[in-house]
Amino acid sequence: MNPFQYVTPRSVDSAVAQVADQGRFLAGGNDLLGEMKEYIASPRVLVNVKNLPGTQDVVIGNDTWTIGANVTIAQIEHHADLKRVFPGLQQAAAEVGSPQIRNVATVGGNLAQHSRCWYYRQRDLHCAKRGGDTCYARDGENKYHSLFSGNPCISPLVSNLAVALATLDATVVVRRGGKDVTMTMAELYQKAWEEVTAHNSLGPTDLILRVQIPNNGCRSAYLQVSEKAIFDWALVSCAAAARVDGHRLNHVRVVLGAASPIPHQVAAAHDLLEDKELDDALAARAADLILKDAEPLAHNAYKVPLAHALIRRTLKQLVG
Amino acid sequence: MPSWPTKLTVMSQYTPRVEAPSKVTGAAKYSSDVQPTGWLYGMIYRAPWPAAKVTRINLDKAKKVRGIKAVAAVREGERTVRFYGEELAAVAGTSKQACLDALRAVEVEASMLPFVVNEEIAKRPDAPRVWPDAPNLSEPNLREKGDVDKAFADAAAVVEGFFTTQIQLHQPLETHGNTVSVAKDDVTCWASTQGVFSVREGLASHLNVSQEKVRVITEHMGGGFGSKFGPGVEGGLAAQLSKMAGAPVKLMLTRFEESLAVGNRPSSFQNIKLGAGADGKLVAFEMNAYGTAGVGAGAATAGGGGGAGFPAPYIYSVPNTRVRQAHVAVNAGEGRAFRAPGHPVASFGMESIMDELAVKLKMDPVELRLKNDPSEVRRREYTIGSERFGWKQKYKPPGSSDGTTKTGVGCAGATWGGGGRGTQAEVQINPDASVEVRCGTQDLGTGTRTLVAIVAAEVFGLKPEQITARIGDTQFPPSGASGGSTTAASVCPAIFDTCSKALEELQKRAVMDDARGANWKAACKKLGVTPLVANGRWQEGLSSSGAGGVQFAEVEVDTETGFVKVKKVLCVQDCGLIVNKLTCESQINGGIIMGLGYALYEERVMDSATGVVLNPNFETYKLPSFADIPEIEIVLLDMPERGVIGVGEPATIPTAGAIANAVANALGVRVASLPITPPRVLAALGQVKT
Repeated sequence: MNPFQYVTPRSVDSAVAQVADQGRFLAGGNDLLGEMKEYIASPRVLVNVKNLPGTQDVVIGNDTWTIGANVTIAQIEHHADLKRVFPGLQQAAAEVGSPQIRNVATVGGNLAQHSRCWYYRQRDLHCAKRGGDTCYARDGENKYHSLFSGNPCISPLVSNLAVALATLDATVVVRRGGKDVTMTMAELYQKAWEEVTAHNSLGPTDLILRVQIPNNGCRSAYLQVSEKAIFDWALVSCAAAARVDGHRLNHVRVVLGAASPIPHQVAAAHDLLEDKELDDALAARAADLILKDAEPLAHNAYKVPLAHALIRRTLKQLVG
Repeated sequence: MPSWPTKLTVMSQYTPRVEAPSKVTGAAKYSSDVQPTGWLYGMIYRAPWPAAKVTRINLDKAKKVRGIKAVAAVREGERTVRFYGEELAAVAGTSKQACLDALRAVEVEASMLPFVVNEEIAKRPDAPRVWPDAPNLSEPNLREKGDVDKAFADAAAVVEGFFTTQIQLHQPLETHGNTVSVAKDDVTCWASTQGVFSVREGLASHLNVSQEKVRVITEHMGGGFGSKFGPGVEGGLAAQLSKMAGAPVKLMLTRFEESLAVGNRPSSFQNIKLGAGADGKLVAFEMNAYGTAGVGAGAATAGGGGGAGFPAPYIYSVPNTRVRQAHVAVNAGEGRAFRAPGHPVASFGMESIMDELAVKLKMDPVELRLKNDPSEVRRREYTIGSERFGWKQKYKPPGSSDGTTKTGVGCAGATWGGGGRGTQAEVQINPDASVEVRCGTQDLGTGTRTLVAIVAAEVFGLKPEQITARIGDTQFPPSGASGGSTTAASVCPAIFDTCSKALEELQKRAVMDDARGANWKAACKKLGVTPLVANGRWQEGLSSSGAGGVQFAEVEVDTETGFVKVKKVLCVQDCGLIVNKLTCESQINGGIIMGLGYALYEERVMDSATGVVLNPNFETYKLPSFADIPEIEIVLLDMPERGVIGVGEPATIPTAGAIANAVANALGVRVASLPITPPRVLAALGQVKT
């Protein structure tokens, strides 16, 4: 990697000020250090945000739960109250990487991580996401890639937490330009849908401070399928949440991960499920709607039936 | 002819490795841990293109990077690059970062050439040639006997299939590399190698010095699997840089480099046709196959390098056979020997078509094998194994289990040669009763050092921990490289012979009838001040070759997600006289886990458009994790009368075939390509619409 300065600011304002000169925020470092070692990123300054005040705790409120950006994935995985109230989020956390990775990886880092596309990460290629001309994956080895994309890049969102949080109507508080802005999960990734070089909607000096989850009485669930049993990225993941009364669902959210640059959800599917008794046929119709506009490539068409099965199973788990 | 004692007290037990405490505590120094005074880091500049004409390599700027002590081009003048990652130059410096910076300062003038990395494309007559003077596709090697066409015409059942296997990488946890110190009159190399003497030969020749000036040491090393016999290009470069810099150079490859240029198991594409009589007896076999060993293949090299050829019809004898095998050159790193070269490839194809035949004949797959397997030992193993596994209860017609998660079982067999050969050893018995055994073999991680201690302890009536086993050094009596499952069968007889001679001599000098066990201390004391040294060698009669082995696998397949879970693998393995049951079983566990990786996860992925390797890391080159590993049951077929036989290779051969057959049995359709991934399972089930 290239030489860099390392600073540990004591306030968010100071952190944002110091990152301005071609800097990057450093928390767990799992993603950033990999990019630096491959010379994909060569920041001049690393701004250590791990110890910023107010970013390390899970705060249980009456209406809203708050998870600080520096809460580790392992903390979420092992948090008894989170597991009880937001099982979908806990399960999504438990599927991240390995125990060692979960011990240092943070909520902020998981949400802001960059593409894992093997063309993007290849040291001797300069793909469209890195500012080059070509998305090599479109006509290349694309079994891990997106079924949906709004731009030439087809590398999918791989943050497990984003998928689970999107079903929980969570919002992310981001320090942007001197003030705190609140973004929905859809807003946090919208730019990755539109712009080929974007991984999310965050600007270079935007810093995730915390995640807010409304305690709206929804039940949640998360499932993923990988090539290996553990320590592997999802081929497809699915989260779902709803208020559940017997088999009747209300306020339904179903989101796919590893299928699109953003958490993939389809309003028509939510509408279909709303205030209905869930059965196999209904779940299948919802899955059909969610996958209706999929554009499979040469090697990722298997994601359609796989996602279909995951949607049906995740919904079933909500009422099970 | 010498023979092993009939009553064994130390051998054939469960003995922990003598070096286990030092490995567990971290005290053990692997070759990559060695840090001689003043050592420098070494790193290699590799071609970032799959094919190019290189006209000039300028290392001036690299040499000026702070901390850099030496730079060297692999070759002077123009050269042709034939694969992504080919070695072009190397640097040595005082820090890793200095070397990384220097690599980025290397200037290369080159023009890219057309290339091909995909076997199917490379086969075409108009494909870019990897070697200019010959087509990529070699003339097929033809082996034929009997009247194949007539036999097929007369056969009661004929099945055909097309099976493919991927490129598997060795991926030893300790990467390839050496620390080399070239001083005026002597060269010392700490090598991560399977052959200290083969590294010595390579380095001496590279440096043009006599072999007695070169000492190679391998105290502990972290795996080779067939890919670590010589010093490699990286060893030669480390020596060259050390000579230039006047300091030891440690050049260990990175995981990235490990995926490019230090060997692999060649791929295969196998068209197989098999015919049998109504009784299930095989009558005809035909194969048209090709595969690639990267740049080490094709017409120009006549399938050299690791070789893409493999035995067919593998373990079965078929009276009428016609086999055509060709090699396809592609612009990729070359194949190397890889744990049972050719055999897992052969087993997967052949055992798959055997199960297809069983289905067609409506015959139990084990019964079909019992009818056709010429090996009496393996037939016994099938009988023992199917009983233990509960085959009769578990085997159901393909695809007949209920529900979305289907279960299936499969089996497959293996054969391997192995056998012992010329190893020498030396033992020194000291007056204080301590014992040192020296042998120039090396321990790949299989437990060889412990075998040395066990055999010596057996002869002397001592405990293994009372023996100091010194190995992994060219200053000790010579032994061969550890390949082909030959180490145990080579080393144990030599230790036995050496220690038997020493015991005889000790008893003579101490004037005692039996110096062993309780008498040991008293006998040694009578040596006075001079230790006793004896030499011996491998002797006929204490080892043999030829191991069989069969495996049974039980799987669960989720038909909606394509996920395969291997529930159980049962292995019945013949292994002659077992020297250490614990490390023998460990070897078999490791072989099965490697076979599991081959069956379900591992595959080097290259990009056809750019010629680069896309998964040069453990994130996307997928190895089994603990959670993926099934229950493994091992039944050792103890045959002490046969002497010592190596077991490292046979155990990895049939695993993929057995798992593939189990998956086919579960689904009722076959995934004919390895690795069997969720996408391929869903495709085989017809769920993927393209």
